[in-house]
Amino acid sequence: MSDLALAPLAAATPAKRRWRVVRAVAAKEWLELFRDRRLVWLCAFVVALMLAALAFGYVENARILSERDAAARADRELWIGQSAKNPHAAAHFGQYAFKPLSPLALADPGVDAYVGSAVWLEAHKQNETQFKQARDGGVGARLGSLSLAFILQTIAPLIVILMGFASFSGERESGTLKQLLSVGAKPRDILAGKTLALIGAIFALLAPALVGAALALIFFVDRERLSLSDQFIRLGALGAAYAAYLAGFALLALGVSALARNSRAALVTLLAFWLANSFLAPRLATDAARALAPTPTWQEFRAGVAQDKSKTFGHDESHPGFIAFRDETLKKYGVTRIKDLPVNFRGLALRKDDESGYAIFDRHFGALQSVFERQDALRAAPGFLFPLLALRPISMAFAGVDSRSQFDFATSAEAHRRDIQNEVSDNIIHFAHDNGYVAGPELWRKIAAFAYRAPGAGFALDHSALPIVALLGWLALAAAFALFAARRLRPV
Amino acid sequence: MRPVLEARNLTKIYDGADAPALDRLNLIVPAGEVFCLLGPNGAGKTTTVNLFLNFIQPTAGQALVCGIDAAVDPSAARARLAYIPEQVMLYGALTGLENLQYFTEISGAEAPRDTLLSLLAAAGLPSDAVHRQVRGYSKGMRQKVGVAIALARRAQALVLDEPTSGLDPLAANEFAALIERLRKDGMAVLMVTHDLFLAKQCGTRIGIMAQGRLASVFGADDVDHLGLERAYLDLFARAA
Repeated sequence: MSDLALAPLAAATPAKRRWRVVRAVAAKEWLELFRDRRLVWLCAFVVALMLAALAFGYVENARILSERDAAARADRELWIGQSAKNPHAAAHFGQYAFKPLSPLALADPGVDAYVGSAVWLEAHKQNETQFKQARDGGVGARLGSLSLAFILQTIAPLIVILMGFASFSGERESGTLKQLLSVGAKPRDILAGKTLALIGAIFALLAPALVGAALALIFFVDRERLSLSDQFIRLGALGAAYAAYLAGFALLALGVSALARNSRAALVTLLAFWLANSFLAPRLATDAARALAPTPTWQEFRAGVAQDKSKTFGHDESHPGFIAFRDETLKKYGVTRIKDLPVNFRGLALRKDDESGYAIFDRHFGALQSVFERQDALRAAPGFLFPLLALRPISMAFAGVDSRSQFDFATSAEAHRRDIQNEVSDNIIHFAHDNGYVAGPELWRKIAAFAYRAPGAGFALDHSALPIVALLGWLALAAAFALFAARRLRPV
Repeated sequence: MRPVLEARNLTKIYDGADAPALDRLNLIVPAGEVFCLLGPNGAGKTTTVNLFLNFIQPTAGQALVCGIDAAVDPSAARARLAYIPEQVMLYGALTGLENLQYFTEISGAEAPRDTLLSLLAAAGLPSDAVHRQVRGYSKGMRQKVGVAIALARRAQALVLDEPTSGLDPLAANEFAALIERLRKDGMAVLMVTHDLFLAKQCGTRIGIMAQGRLASVFGADDVDHLGLERAYLDLFARAA
């Protein structure tokens, strides 16, 4: 026995001791993880899957963007190339408003496939969006695609569970936990070290996806139409949200592992939770939200709009509203006959009818949107227990593919439709001297092409308060549970 | 002398058990003493060890380490203890040196690599095994890493549960010499063993446990090997 072997070892200062323990545990966990080739290969497979999903998303989005741009150009040419006609007939001729594709849709396709990509803008009617990929794509499209969001929301938690379920229970079974606790290590420091190791693994999973998405943005973003920095802010927010989501799973796995009788029980418990979070909770939350905040059927909605619209006169010159407006106008201009008016009465009547319709559309579509927002809130509220319910709306909001982004686009498209209506009505009011009046390409060109600018990341943040609070609640709850479990940690 | 390890009416009744596994044990191990606990399986020896380490909660009484109640502040109590179990369990994917480094860091001590290598050498681990993954170690080699971990701790007390199990006679003899040296350095040692020879060789006091109680206590100078064996056998012959 050498004297060196028995020489006192210098003790670490109290301030450094805790960090040394946490760091040592994390480093050991990483070393074990790295030497366990199975997990390394599994992680590599998931990273490859994510990059493949990202690449697929990139190619798919480039195709959709190209198609929409081509369709928008063709539609514009049709509009400008229409023959000379009465401006109101041109408003009925109509045009499409295409929704620009959000660049981050390559990571999270969101609701775009279900809510449509274009709105038909025509006189008198506020239409819903059309061309729903999910409807046009058959059963396969309805089942969802293998997007980066799906992998991170569903498969990544499974990987975290597989990495964490035996963290404590495995050590208890092998006897190393006894050895570990016998040297005076505090359970909370061991927990912190194991959490750090798992968070490191989560970062290793997320980092390639984030770098891949960032590169895709650099190549994909049309900087004339969109701010690259705004897209990076969105990507950063997405990274933070997914990190919080997965960190919660790491803490849950550690907590369950600390409390479970054995690794098998820990794994079964965690897999049951994973199934509930990934598949059961979204279904139940959606059904509950629909039950608590029911939406009218499309037929009911259209019937409600039509009923209110019937109170306006449209083209019906015998409608009491039309007669009242005519009398009011004649009185205003101090004449008794329409032909004595200094402006075109038909144009005035069209504008009046349009304005009456705007209020009706705003009321009905606003009420419908309120119901959707209430459903969103009801779905996200249990997100502190089932975090996918909180993460999904955040992910879609920051990817610019949520229902609120869709509503913003629809609102913008409707504003454009109203601009067209106002322009053609004004043209009729001021230039049409008889019923045979026609306008030409000058007017069609004067009406600008629809150019939608999606709102910035602040818009997503403003509308994601509840899911963000729920997601942070999930993280806090998981941390509290892990700490509680660590305090009850027993080596035998 | 100031007690380093002390049991005060320490009692443990396991869930569902009729009789206590440990029944009002009173025991003091001061600095510079090696107290060996002998006894058959189920006598309460390992329960005593587990209570000092707070691996289990006492039903009544206290297990004190340097005056710290192990049930009240287990981490503080364990920080003053080194522990070598019958089966030293290590991380199979790590080498012997990495295991020693890890457990030393976890205990809060600083351990230069050279010192750790010396500790492994002192514990008798062959130098060619130091950098091999522990999953290929024999039981004896694992035990030697366990000894090195305990040495690196420089704790005030050492608790041993069948420490020489699996060690060859030469290593067991070296181990006994090590215990003696630690005792002289002022360490309090509580050793649980079935090995009467080792108990006589290492112990300054020897206790024989039966049915959860400390039935007899001998000073090491009060009894020779044969006398200890006779006392042990007589005690259980009477009980039978």
